[in-house]
Amino acid sequence: MSTADATGAQQFLASALLATFVGSGAIVLVGFFFPSAVGQALGGQALLGMSLLFFGSGLGYLAVLPYERIRTDDAGVSSLVRIRRTSVRSVISNLISVHDPVTLGLPVAVFALYFLIRIVRPAATTAAVDTLTTAVLQGMGPFLLGAMLVAVAFCVFVFFSAWGGVKLGGEDTEPTYTYPTYFSLVFTAGIAAGIVFWGPAEALFHYQTPPPFFDAAPQSAAAIDAALVYALFHWGLSAWSAYAVIGIPIAYFVFERGAPLRVSSILTPFLGVDGLDSPWSRLVDTLAVFATIGGIATSIGLVSQQFLAGVGFQWGVAPGELGPVLFVGGLAAVYILSAVSGLHRGIRRIAGVTVVLFGVFALLIFLVGPRGPVVAQGTDALGAYAVNFVPMSLYTGGAWVTEWTVWNWAWWFSWAPFAGTFLAALSRGRRLRTVVLTSVGATSLATGVWFLVVGGTSLSLQHSGRADILSAITARGGSEAVAGFPLLSALPLGDLLLFLFLALIVVFIVTSADTATLIAAILASRRGVAPSRGTIALWGAFQAVVALAVLLIGGGETLQALAVLTGAPFAILSMLAIVGLALGVSREDRGSDHTSLVRIAVDRLPTIQTHHDVEPPDRED
Amino acid sequence: MLPKHSISEILQYCFLGVVRQYVIVVDSQDEHGTRPFEEVFYPAERVPFVEWREFSGAKPTVALVAAVAVLAFVTGLSNLSRAQPVVEGPLATLIPAAPILVRFVGVLLAFPLGIATVGLGRRKRLAWLGAMVLVPALAILPLTTGRTTEIPLLVLVLLTVPLLVANREEFDQPLGLSSLQIASLASILGVGLYGTVGAYGLRRQFLELEGWGDAIYYVIVTIATVGYGDITPTTLEAKLFSLSVILLGTGAFTVAVGALIGPAIESRMAAAFGTMTASELSLLEDHVVVLGYGDVAESFLDRVGDGTDLVVVTDDAEAASRLTDAGFEVLTDDPTDEAVLADARVDAARGVAVAGDDDAENVLAVLAARDVSPDIRIVAVANKETHAKKLDAVGADEVIDLRSIGGRLLGASILDGDAPDVDPAAVLGFAEQEADPTAEDQRTTDSETGEDSDADTDDPESQQSNTDAR
Repeated sequence: MSTADATGAQQFLASALLATFVGSGAIVLVGFFFPSAVGQALGGQALLGMSLLFFGSGLGYLAVLPYERIRTDDAGVSSLVRIRRTSVRSVISNLISVHDPVTLGLPVAVFALYFLIRIVRPAATTAAVDTLTTAVLQGMGPFLLGAMLVAVAFCVFVFFSAWGGVKLGGEDTEPTYTYPTYFSLVFTAGIAAGIVFWGPAEALFHYQTPPPFFDAAPQSAAAIDAALVYALFHWGLSAWSAYAVIGIPIAYFVFERGAPLRVSSILTPFLGVDGLDSPWSRLVDTLAVFATIGGIATSIGLVSQQFLAGVGFQWGVAPGELGPVLFVGGLAAVYILSAVSGLHRGIRRIAGVTVVLFGVFALLIFLVGPRGPVVAQGTDALGAYAVNFVPMSLYTGGAWVTEWTVWNWAWWFSWAPFAGTFLAALSRGRRLRTVVLTSVGATSLATGVWFLVVGGTSLSLQHSGRADILSAITARGGSEAVAGFPLLSALPLGDLLLFLFLALIVVFIVTSADTATLIAAILASRRGVAPSRGTIALWGAFQAVVALAVLLIGGGETLQALAVLTGAPFAILSMLAIVGLALGVSREDRGSDHTSLVRIAVDRLPTIQTHHDVEPPDRED
Repeated sequence: MLPKHSISEILQYCFLGVVRQYVIVVDSQDEHGTRPFEEVFYPAERVPFVEWREFSGAKPTVALVAAVAVLAFVTGLSNLSRAQPVVEGPLATLIPAAPILVRFVGVLLAFPLGIATVGLGRRKRLAWLGAMVLVPALAILPLTTGRTTEIPLLVLVLLTVPLLVANREEFDQPLGLSSLQIASLASILGVGLYGTVGAYGLRRQFLELEGWGDAIYYVIVTIATVGYGDITPTTLEAKLFSLSVILLGTGAFTVAVGALIGPAIESRMAAAFGTMTASELSLLEDHVVVLGYGDVAESFLDRVGDGTDLVVVTDDAEAASRLTDAGFEVLTDDPTDEAVLADARVDAARGVAVAGDDDAENVLAVLAARDVSPDIRIVAVANKETHAKKLDAVGADEVIDLRSIGGRLLGASILDGDAPDVDPAAVLGFAEQEADPTAEDQRTTDSETGEDSDADTDDPESQQSNTDAR
């Protein structure tokens, strides 16, 4: 395991991936142009496998490419100086010694226990979790709704108040990540493939069963507006505020108070930096690891099933018994490579690919879709969203809200520990105002545009009868996985858009899984120890094992519900975090040397009347 | 054995900047205030969205052009395989004979583009011009057919053209044809013109020769010695004319093949005997040039081996063939000649190691290298202590005095009984290298290698003992 070997292995891996990429690419290329001939010769399954291999090896190659070309040469030479001998046993004992036994052991034990119980008593487990879910969502529903509104208010306050001027890591710290990198990392980590599946589907579901807040008849023109507004609502400002409300306190205590990077750092004002070893903070970190692994691993498993279901729906290619397992294995290989290669290599590059694909796809849909109706519905929906935001946030009426809004809020809160920690870790050198602007403003702008364009297009096609997406969904048992396919088939350039659509699913799940792996590894490491590549790979593998177990044993939805339920305690914790941050900031009186946006605006009034400078804008070149 | 061993190590250290790395590794144990998670999240000073330099250089351009050629070929094939080509694109009505064009244009442009790709790989100006014509021309195909499957080609073309334009300066090599090659190409062209114009002029004296198209067809079929016999001369004048076309045409064709392909074969054979061709050399970049081949150079090469691009310039033919067998790039020529050094691309190299056995030649080599590239880092070996100053005076950045180092190591070995543990950096007084601007990069490399380097920094002793573990 010397560095020399590692460098050699990396080079070998890179060339192997490149060879796979080119080889499978040649087959895919021929298949693309002569689908019938290649389809007959190879069969649909093999062609699907080849295409995925092509895309996956391309992503993998991107991940293992060195950071800058010159570096490899140096690394190759420097390896001469650093030859070390390590045995398998020392590697394992090393891995265990760098971990915190509680945060490592407890989630592993819980997952093992869950699957054991699930194997023995599948029906009883599902029933028990269902009861629990209903109880929590109904009982905690009003609280979750309120917590989310407070989270949004908190973000708005930080943005406009003097707190927004706090620069994480001190005034002299410059941000390492340029703004586009920062945005794409935050955006792609916080959102998994759900946005791709739900983009065309969510608004349709609300169109079919309109939210009771708007008094609209099912499948009417009024239902279109209601559907779009609620799609915006569930994926907009509120959703991203849940991440910021955990992320900003962590970032503040990490960079301003020297707390370790972990979720429990939000307890710093109550326990003190040295008190963060207490059982309470360990409990929080363990819960965070559980929520992260549970949320991401079940997403990997379920997304794999949905991906293959969609492909089966569109091209009639049955994945077979082994298909999902191979798919999860391939995904795991890519995201582990990405996580292990480092934030600046795999994670950043694949996030970049994701954001570019995301933008291109949305733009293409807008160009080939019904532009007029989409723009008209979109502006209506935006207006209604702005007007009804607070009433909708406080509206608790009925089962519909529990099923959709409360469930979504719990889901966002359950992802908040991981997405918030990641947001905090990346924010060194940024002002809190920029952090809010990016993690809430820019990201919800991106998701908002996406839902208005993609959801609006599918609504418009459905309403005008150009495509019957709803009946396709119904035919597949109400699964959102298939909604994209009839929609894209009804549009010009449909073939191309379908490939983009599938590629987006893969990159979005990879970008969330690799950051989740990294964060889980950090949370479970002992204090003061940076996770090694081995540790990161271990956590990636653990997620893959859970995802595979979900596929093989079943019970994915149940486990996901369990993971989502952790959203409730994190909603409580986030409220605690706000109080803590207020205590922390006022105790230190840090806010006094910073200026609020309002003050900045007022100061500028005599000279510039319309221009509000949000922050001394990006220092990137 | 011991001194020699260490000297080659030292040479390698100070030359390739490992000392800098070494110093930093030791240095980074005393807290720089980097916290554990920051090692993971802040591996570099600056992380941009895209490393434009990586994606916009000459090499990616060549790769993209190659991809365009392949995609154009496959796209062309798929059009060729259709009984009735699709012409529904925006350009379909503007282009005359669109169906015929669509059928052939992809494949026919792909072949010359393939040749242009090879030329671009050698940084030829003409290849760049060719690519600048062919690549945009390929955009006609998807714009005429309007098929969804051809959009990737359009996207690729739109990506490639700006890159080609941006990198125009990189492709500056002249074609460099010999006079024989120019003459033979010109004569082929001349015979072609002569035959075509002549056949057209004499068309009444041929069977079935009607217009310009027939004339061209006739000349090519004749020169290629295929001679289908559908067009035949009927008069003596026409027969004599045809004979002249055959004689001149096949002659010019044969000479051209010999003149164009011969040098390529020669250079292959030359390469087998230890000489790099000019085109191979022109691809070198960021490499290390070793001038002269002495005892030190030998163990230096043994150490450095893989991972670094090396070019050895020596006029010792026997050593050259041995090195070639061992897989090193060798230029068998005089290492003191500026022209040779320019061929070895000293101007684009990372550094020059002057390591001959003859100090006089070493001095000349340093002078020549300094002349070719004023900024290059030159490390020279002084075989005699008294020559060290001279090498320094003529412009070597670093002079390794073999005997005095050997002596010092010998002394250290006897006194401490632990010679190999002597810090080579200390021996050479190189600690000031730490202030080198590249040290920052080195540090990043260090953290990039992750756990291993962490463990290394924990234990300075392991650093030391690693040195002799080798």
